[in-house]
Amino acid sequence: MVIKIEHKWGMVVDLDKCTGCNGCVVACQAENNLPINTKDLFMQKRAFEWIRIERYWEGEFPNVKARYLPVMCQHCGNAPCEPVCPVYATYHNDQGLNVQVYNRCVGTRYCINNCTYQVRFFNFWEPTWPERLQNQLNPDVTVRTRGITEKCTFCVQRIRRAEITVERRERTKLNDKTMAARNFMPACVQACPTNALMFGDQNNQEDKIHGYFEELHNHEGHSDSRGYRILEEIGTDPSVIYLKKVDQFKMEHSESHG
Amino acid sequence: MIPKGNIVAATLVGLIMAGITGFILLVIAISWFSNAPFGLANAPAQPIAFPHTAHAGSVDDGGLGMECEFCHRNVTKGDSATVPALQQCWYCHQKVSGGDEEAQAEIDKLVTAYSDGVPVNWERVHRLPDHVRFVHEAHIRHFTMGDTPETQLEVKEVCTVCHGEVAKMEEVQPKQFQSLKMGTCLDCHRKYDVPTDCTICHK
Repeated sequence: MVIKIEHKWGMVVDLDKCTGCNGCVVACQAENNLPINTKDLFMQKRAFEWIRIERYWEGEFPNVKARYLPVMCQHCGNAPCEPVCPVYATYHNDQGLNVQVYNRCVGTRYCINNCTYQVRFFNFWEPTWPERLQNQLNPDVTVRTRGITEKCTFCVQRIRRAEITVERRERTKLNDKTMAARNFMPACVQACPTNALMFGDQNNQEDKIHGYFEELHNHEGHSDSRGYRILEEIGTDPSVIYLKKVDQFKMEHSESHG
Repeated sequence: MIPKGNIVAATLVGLIMAGITGFILLVIAISWFSNAPFGLANAPAQPIAFPHTAHAGSVDDGGLGMECEFCHRNVTKGDSATVPALQQCWYCHQKVSGGDEEAQAEIDKLVTAYSDGVPVNWERVHRLPDHVRFVHEAHIRHFTMGDTPETQLEVKEVCTVCHGEVAKMEEVQPKQFQSLKMGTCLDCHRKYDVPTDCTICHK
């Protein structure tokens, strides 16, 4: 039986555009009702962000380059977290999303231990907010309680909202065109000041991210393009493509001669 | 003559039985006086007795036959059906008076609240858990714009699918037509071949 998949959501992160500003981190925190990471939480190593900017230094002192890598849930095609859940709280849905069902989760943390990218987080404490921030909680996202696992959802609440809005206003199914016209995207993508993050449908031929995935799948391992996926050699088949940073020193050099 | 040991044992058993009975009675008492969905008590008393029968009830039954969405205006536009603003009640009731003194007293409460600018704290009757997303508009769209006669209903007929005949209820009861538990949702989603992916409803 051929299962028709309408959407397969994916993301492309252009590391050449990423400035490491942490805008996506803050946007995600606000959109998804993440608790405030206080100093206490950091000291306990219990602070978490659904999308984090990993920072690497390259080179020796005067010639140091900072490299940034925004890491969110990779929504793997072969997700290591899924088969280990004893209560089926995490599963792969038909739109290529790795879903965490909060009210099913019993907090075994098997998935966290099995996640290759360390993007699943456990609520060790009841999340709290300062009183003045309680009215900014997003009503479209559950406020998770203590004792359950949570992770990036590709802002599934925004995708659902987009589907309903498009069906109501235009009587069509959600596609790339209507999605772009109505400006629907995950919070991190919306917040990115340099448009380093791109979100779209891998299955849609006309989607702006489709080409990157096409290229990656066609020339696996021998691609000339900048696209790669982190830790793809272990076979997790992630839905997030990173575009290599173009070395600026070389660029300037060649430009001055050209 | 009963041996001493048996008396001690019998006393212990008696105490335990009494304890269990007391606990069961306590649970029943708590649930009797607490509100829905867990309790057995009636709907919470509203600050103003609003009879759905008089407004939405059919003309033959002495009602006005108003459409549900005349007051619950957001029901065809957005997620929640919404309770109307006080101004909307007042707009009619500045002219329309109650049939008898009792009804007039309730309308007076409303007019006073409006002229004083004090919001009425309506008690919420139907409440879904925090982790559920329910969009009224999408469901009304499905039942009014479908292909089969079953899905080409009037808006007020759609409301009765889940809420029952509210037009015939003096006050809306928390134990209603449908339990509004996950099984209710899933039965219907399966019946109409609508996606049952977790993220459709759970957020």
